[in-house]
Amino acid sequence: MKNSIEIKNVSKKYPGFALKNINFCVPEGTIVGLIGENGAGKTTTIKALLNIISSLGDIQVLGKNIRKHEKEIKQDIGVVLDNSFLSEYLTTKKLNTIMKDFYNNWDEKKYMYYIKEFQLPENQLIKEFSSGMKMKLKIAIAISHHPKLLILDEPTSGLDPIVRNEILEIFRKYIEEDETRAILISSHITSDLEHISDYIVLIDKGEIKLDKATTELLENYGIVKCSKEDFEKIKIEDYISYRAGKYQYEVLVADKYEFRRKYDISVIDRPTIEDIMLFYIKGGKA
Amino acid sequence: MSVKKGLIKKDLYNLSSYKTSLIIVFICMCILGTSNSTMMNYIPIIMATMSGMIALSTFSYDEIAKSNTYVLTLPTNKKEVIISKYILVISISLVGAIIGFLITPIIIQVMNAIKQENLLSVDWNDLLITTLGGIFGIALIESIQIPSIYKWGPEKGRIQMFILIFILILIIAGAAYLFIQAGFSEYLNAIETFLQSFGIPLLLIVTITLYYISYKVSCRIYLKQD
Repeated sequence: MKNSIEIKNVSKKYPGFALKNINFCVPEGTIVGLIGENGAGKTTTIKALLNIISSLGDIQVLGKNIRKHEKEIKQDIGVVLDNSFLSEYLTTKKLNTIMKDFYNNWDEKKYMYYIKEFQLPENQLIKEFSSGMKMKLKIAIAISHHPKLLILDEPTSGLDPIVRNEILEIFRKYIEEDETRAILISSHITSDLEHISDYIVLIDKGEIKLDKATTELLENYGIVKCSKEDFEKIKIEDYISYRAGKYQYEVLVADKYEFRRKYDISVIDRPTIEDIMLFYIKGGKA
Repeated sequence: MSVKKGLIKKDLYNLSSYKTSLIIVFICMCILGTSNSTMMNYIPIIMATMSGMIALSTFSYDEIAKSNTYVLTLPTNKKEVIISKYILVISISLVGAIIGFLITPIIIQVMNAIKQENLLSVDWNDLLITTLGGIFGIALIESIQIPSIYKWGPEKGRIQMFILIFILILIIAGAAYLFIQAGFSEYLNAIETFLQSFGIPLLLIVTITLYYISYKVSCRIYLKQD
């Protein structure tokens, strides 16, 4: 399987924050969820990936070096940013004429189809749109030039569950249309990613803490609930992190089936991606 | 060129919200012109400066929409973004100056029709000089302000620009003072003759040089920026 994105040893230093040797990839035909707290480095990673900011390390997008083939690569990718857009003083019609100049493959028919499908007004200024409408418009623009890769930064943030679901459905359709397409989606709303992502990459304080298949996380990982006495019997190498509560200990384990065979503890819950993220970021290790 | 066209289009669409303001200013100028004939000479300067300042306001639109980041996700790069801005700003200032140049005789005709007791005539030479003066003036402001905006943003950039212009005025005034103190004032006539012969091409060369230096400084600032 080819990789649509390959990030190797990427670093970036800011005063008070640094990306530290980031490594991960986005295989063709998959949706990869980049998760982490606010300020963990998700947006910085995306900016480095798009060569918007300078960084160290190797970044390959669609098989080419982004620093050497920036414009060529960007013809084949669609990007949605949460809080950045062309202008609020444009209409969907005017955006169409602008985008025609940017993309060689701009598909006006497809764009107008999405505008109708998403029920977006043609002659109304974008500043009068709701948050959901603005996001749908950004997505319509991002996918109307037949991109091979979508890079989405917090596309569902601040939206109600119904609109979020509609948007996730768009991404699902987009990936199903062509198996060589791929999506990198950053979000702190982990429940969204649970349903659509194939892989989860967790970033914390500029470091990759976890890079696993979503099914593996949801099926194999487990949260062991036990007493302090039972927790003290668990070997340090058999768990990832723990959280001490008032009445019980919660312990995150990578293989709940193996854990069950080793220890006589029966209460093991299925974790959500959010639980796993919290354990990695806030959990302790003896 | 197509990408630059897209970038310029985006700014022009943003500016289309100024349509009404421009018409109002135009009417105000006509009223001012009819009340005071000396104002006639300044129409090209006012038009060039006003157009230039309007063009510079596109930076504020970009900041509000945080479009600088979004634009860089499109198939373009920072250099093209800078070039497009300079093309836009220079073109709009030039168009403003040219409109100023063209409407002055029209306003004079209108005034003459209204106030037949005080007929005015078009001084083409004066009109040309004020038009070029307007272009030079706005070029000076823009060539300082654009790099300032890239460095400090539209809000802070404006303050820094005024500081820079103030320093510039001090330097020019200081140089003029030293010039007189050094006893060079006897050459003033020679300088005036020189300016009468070569003033226009010199002004054009200085204007182009200003924009070129400004563009290079903007590139140096913006390309390094994260």
